[in-house]
Amino acid sequence: MPTVFSRLLFVAGITLALALARAPEAWAHHSQSEFDFKMNVDVEGKVTVLEWKSPHARLYVDVVNAQGKTENWNFELPSPNTLMRRGWKRDSLKPGDHVTVNGARARNFPTIAYARSIKLADGSALFTGVTQIHEPEPAKPEPAKPQ
Amino acid sequence: MLTATPLLAPAQWLGYPTPGIPRTGDGAPDLKAATPRTPDGKPDLSGMWFANVPSKDACKGQDCIQEERMAREQINLGIKLKDGLPYTEWSKQQMVARRANHGREDPHTYCKPPNFPRAWTLPQYIRLVQTPGELVMLHEFNAAYREVYLDGRPLPENPNPTWNGYSTGHWDADTLVIETNGIRDDMWLDIQGSPVTESARVTERLKRLNFGVMQVEIAVNDPKAYTRPWSVTVEMAIQVDTQMLEEICLDDEQDVKLYK
Repeated sequence: MPTVFSRLLFVAGITLALALARAPEAWAHHSQSEFDFKMNVDVEGKVTVLEWKSPHARLYVDVVNAQGKTENWNFELPSPNTLMRRGWKRDSLKPGDHVTVNGARARNFPTIAYARSIKLADGSALFTGVTQIHEPEPAKPEPAKPQ
Repeated sequence: MLTATPLLAPAQWLGYPTPGIPRTGDGAPDLKAATPRTPDGKPDLSGMWFANVPSKDACKGQDCIQEERMAREQINLGIKLKDGLPYTEWSKQQMVARRANHGREDPHTYCKPPNFPRAWTLPQYIRLVQTPGELVMLHEFNAAYREVYLDGRPLPENPNPTWNGYSTGHWDADTLVIETNGIRDDMWLDIQGSPVTESARVTERLKRLNFGVMQVEIAVNDPKAYTRPWSVTVEMAIQVDTQMLEEICLDDEQDVKLYK
């Protein structure tokens, strides 16, 4: 029930921001262009499951939307192989963990995204690697058009 | 109240020391040590390999990919060539179709096999096992394999086309020269859809420069797909104190449905 999560800052910001500079697409076992890396999302909620399967691990997070309804977000991660070589474990995130996830939204699905980073309640963070080599340009508001 | 904390062993053998490799005084792998050799004096290409990637400083603009540890050639195998790959008009038309729907039709998206030479650039490890008569390539993606015969047999004539074709190898001094024919007509060389077809003759030249680095020159002569023969060189880095990790793509493939 949504009230269970009322202490959290649910959906404090689901920001869809346009990066002015062209953000290169991320690639994994395929082009990953089903995600729009200009559509930045930040959501806060509770982990329901970290699914440790190929070709992509997936993090599911219960998030309460602006209407007070709980949505289960599906965050794609790199493969378990890649994550393990980066120091992740299959229980790095546990059901109930309070997390803030930054990612890039799927073009056609509002609650599916590719995760860049996951911050935990104790302040620690896990990174998927998407931002470690090439930090995406910070999101900037679209400049006002001259009148 | 007691909190149950599962006791987990270290994840497989990640971090387990690889025996029998050259190490420096502090125990680190000596990547600049001499190329290992087999008892008959040939370079030993055995080991786990992964496409070397540009350093952070070299990762700029469209040459770059965000995902860490990905070879640029994974997107465009000809990315280092001044004028790119010399596509025929047929290839250009193919690539327009292949890039439709944001590249959804990439066989890799559908978890098809890691076909060589594309497989050199994929983000999984490749283990080479060298014997006097055969070089075996094991690929993490879909737990795939490829055989390269070193026993002097000729390439087959008019073979049944396959994902990796048919490969034989011979030594040219310290370079292993692999010749391949019989590749399927609808193969992709990279994410952008560069073709390689049944008309192709692919020559790979493997040269282990030292313990840590192996160069793989990929030369493609495919008159259906390219106006002239071309070659590129991909650098591979040895992977030690770790292990191969199975990656079965069809286990949980969910991305195809995300494309529209």
